Amino acid sequence: MSTTTPVAIDVCNVTKRFNLSNTASSLKTAVLDLIRRRKHQTFTALNDVSFKVHKGETLGLIGANGAGKSTMLSIIAGTMYPTIGHVTCNGTISSLLELGAGFHPDLTGRENVLLYGSIMGISREDMRKKFDAIVDFSGLKDFIDQPVRFYSSGMYVRLGFAVAVQVDPEILLVDEVLAVGDADFQRKCLDKMDEFKSKGKSMLIISHDMHTIRSISDRIAYLDHGVLKGIGSPNEMAAQYGAATINGKNGDAKREWGTGEAKIASAQLVDSCGKPISVVNDDQQLFFELEYDAPERIETPTFGFSITDEAGRTVFGSNTEIEGFDLPYIQGKGKLMLKVDAKVLRSGNYMMSFSLHNRNHTINYHRLENHIPIYLPTATGFDGMCKLPVEWN
Amino acid sequence: MNLIKQLIQRRELIAILVIRNLKIRYKNSALGFFWSLLTPAFMILMYACFAKLLKFADGSDYLPFLVSGIVFWQFTAGCMNDSLNAIVGNTNLVKKVSFPRIILPLSTALANGVNFLLTIAVLVVYLILAGVFEYVNIYWLIPAILMHLMLCIGICCVCSVANVFFRDTQHIIGIGSLAWFFMSPVFYRTSMQTDAIVSVFGVAEASQLKGIVFLNPMTGILGAYRAGLMQNQLPVPEGVSLWWILVSASICFIVFVAGLIAIRKGDKSFGDVL
Repeated sequence: MSTTTPVAIDVCNVTKRFNLSNTASSLKTAVLDLIRRRKHQTFTALNDVSFKVHKGETLGLIGANGAGKSTMLSIIAGTMYPTIGHVTCNGTISSLLELGAGFHPDLTGRENVLLYGSIMGISREDMRKKFDAIVDFSGLKDFIDQPVRFYSSGMYVRLGFAVAVQVDPEILLVDEVLAVGDADFQRKCLDKMDEFKSKGKSMLIISHDMHTIRSISDRIAYLDHGVLKGIGSPNEMAAQYGAATINGKNGDAKREWGTGEAKIASAQLVDSCGKPISVVNDDQQLFFELEYDAPERIETPTFGFSITDEAGRTVFGSNTEIEGFDLPYIQGKGKLMLKVDAKVLRSGNYMMSFSLHNRNHTINYHRLENHIPIYLPTATGFDGMCKLPVEWN
Repeated sequence: MNLIKQLIQRRELIAILVIRNLKIRYKNSALGFFWSLLTPAFMILMYACFAKLLKFADGSDYLPFLVSGIVFWQFTAGCMNDSLNAIVGNTNLVKKVSFPRIILPLSTALANGVNFLLTIAVLVVYLILAGVFEYVNIYWLIPAILMHLMLCIGICCVCSVANVFFRDTQHIIGIGSLAWFFMSPVFYRTSMQTDAIVSVFGVAEASQLKGIVFLNPMTGILGAYRAGLMQNQLPVPEGVSLWWILVSASICFIVFVAGLIAIRKGDKSFGDVL
């Protein structure tokens, strides 16, 4: 995205702090606090976050729960104000934050649609014109004159989404809405978002579904505990986020141990030419460069590796001995190249571990566990953990 | 001025919210909107019956005086009650969509206003039947309604914002509105208030100072309404300058402005506190 493209959302040094004790909502505590001059405890939800969303761009926002994603969206939507910094938006905003949240249960679907439209600033006349399209999209023709309290949660969301997209804003904010609704409706939503993109409108999307967010976003911003950890290409950020999640989940999963008679001095992900990279290519060919250091001669060493998935299950593991790559001995420093064809694996976050041990596994010279996080990007449609060769006749 | 422009832009939203407020009030009721007419009619009937039975309003215009006072007071009281939920009850909207927040208390006040106008229609019918209706001074309704609207919008704004931050507001309003009711000339005449000022504070009988009762805006509002609709009613008691009405009007205006300020100050924190 070139810098000359007009900016749709400009988030500038935004810091948001919440007063923790402010929630008491009682006059008594307020007066007492005033008398005691007690300082409110604050919680920093966002810390000096700056980014821009260009016109026509779709930015994904990822991060763990509590990272500040929704706070960010609320500030952009204008329902919260930043403590420091400011947000500028060019264009009308429609937010899909909790679909149908503004609906009143006692009003009918029709009345709620009109109410929602007018809240979004659309004239009643325009809304009448769009009404049929909204009803069609939601698929609730038969229920539109029923009070929405009789709606199922799925119907609620469908109507909410239908209204929000038909409002036709210039900027669309989407907060984790695709988790609800059936497959058919999710398909419809994604189509609508694509259509939105092709119209050159800007979107900001929060989702925990990495597949969706990666496929729809042009760039991804990664928030961690209120700090913007990075903003960049979807694959790169997904890999970074995935690594952080795995590390966080397994505590200090990354560890090394062994007798130390010989060491794997370094192990890194490289491309086919041997250049260090951080993101795996779409063909999912993994190349690793291992450097070892054996001060003394080691007889019949075995180098091994394993790939574990997010749940910590070993997906695949092998070593030089199994593969018939015979190493009589190592001495001094040296390099090994490892190539793994991982295209059968489904996309997701994985961890690479490496080991150096003797032939019968009695001595572990050096082990690097959960050493390199990798993110496999290819999203081929299949069910399960890996794709097996299949032939139909 | 910016605010007025915004409000004009959002007039449809205000209209829809007013209608919504009214609809929700009569949700699931067979007679629906007619309750706006039936309730005051029954109330008047009730007072009339008991006044006859207990003979406390015989042969005077006290009954119309009392009934009209209650009708006018109910607009103020209704606004105070409904304002509690104007913002808190719309948490979903406030947290999810950005729009001028003042629309919420404003539409609450206006919904009560629409209801009030219907009630006034019933009241006028009753006053005609009771033979105390007088339209010569009907122009007094204009300042009365203006003052009352400003006061009610102001109250709605202040109370709705206060209730966001302190849920004690509802209890304070409960007590406060009762006290205010007794301090206002709803069931007694304004002259009784001024007499009380004279006797309690030792103000000279001829002094204009007794007009100090008009610091209560409801005193001026009730006086103006009654002067506009009923025979032999003056907006101010005898011996008190008509200018005191302006004191009530100023207080109404101050409350109105206070409401605008409250909304403005509170707006920044609604998203955090709710």
